[in-house]
Amino acid sequence: MREEFRLLIALQDLDIMIREAREQSTSEQYRDMGFKLTGLDELVEAREKLAKKIPKALRNRYEKLAAHYKLAILPVTGDKCLGCFVKLPTSFFSSAYSSELLTCENCGRLLYIP
Amino acid sequence: MKHNSIASLFEERFCIFNLRSRKKSSVLQEMVRHLKAEGRITDEHFILEMLKNRESLGSTGLGNGVAFPHGRSIAINGLTVLFARSAAGVDFESLDGKPAHIFFLILAPSEKGAEAYLALLSELISLVQKPDKLEAMREARDFESLMKIIGGGGS
Repeated sequence: MREEFRLLIALQDLDIMIREAREQSTSEQYRDMGFKLTGLDELVEAREKLAKKIPKALRNRYEKLAAHYKLAILPVTGDKCLGCFVKLPTSFFSSAYSSELLTCENCGRLLYIP
Repeated sequence: MKHNSIASLFEERFCIFNLRSRKKSSVLQEMVRHLKAEGRITDEHFILEMLKNRESLGSTGLGNGVAFPHGRSIAINGLTVLFARSAAGVDFESLDGKPAHIFFLILAPSEKGAEAYLALLSELISLVQKPDKLEAMREARDFESLMKIIGGGGS
């Protein structure tokens, strides 16, 4: 898998974690269970450092998608986009695309072959 | 979530009754590598990074010798629980400063919301708050004993 895909996926995982920590209902549930969420600032800092490692054009694309969708990048595990569930073109499954970052023609989400 | 439904999430192949690692980062690595070796995850790198990030948000070592490393990633296909036990104990930066002996690694796919594992976390935490259950878990040497404690009755 290409390095920029790996970075994007790691960035998305971090964004999910930051979102959970910021959401009142989720963070309250964590605290009720005894977890301390004191490192949010460090996590945001780590996110910014990671984002800078991603080529600007790709990062901007991700950020725009992430503003609309909870998940901006998804693996291709069947014949449908896991974001919008619209069928993907058969050409996606050609080996020529196995190392490419693909785009769902319906919703625009970034897709990769794991 | 009832105890018998919790038990259904445990699998013998996802249990480590004798963790070798003695440091926090290497324990996370040992557990993640175990899941990779068992074919549960395809890329250990993502999971490990995610778990390390989660620990930087705040240690998942809740004290009383138990830790609950957890998180979500698109690199995970389904809700996964790994049980691990360390007789020697591991400094997991737990809230009470004591070593952790029992680990529940909980991983969930990103497509599901946090609720996918929050209920499970809550139920497991309630379980280990019972001193007799916790003590028995620390002594568990095999899957059958673990299931008797959790409520699944063994395989």
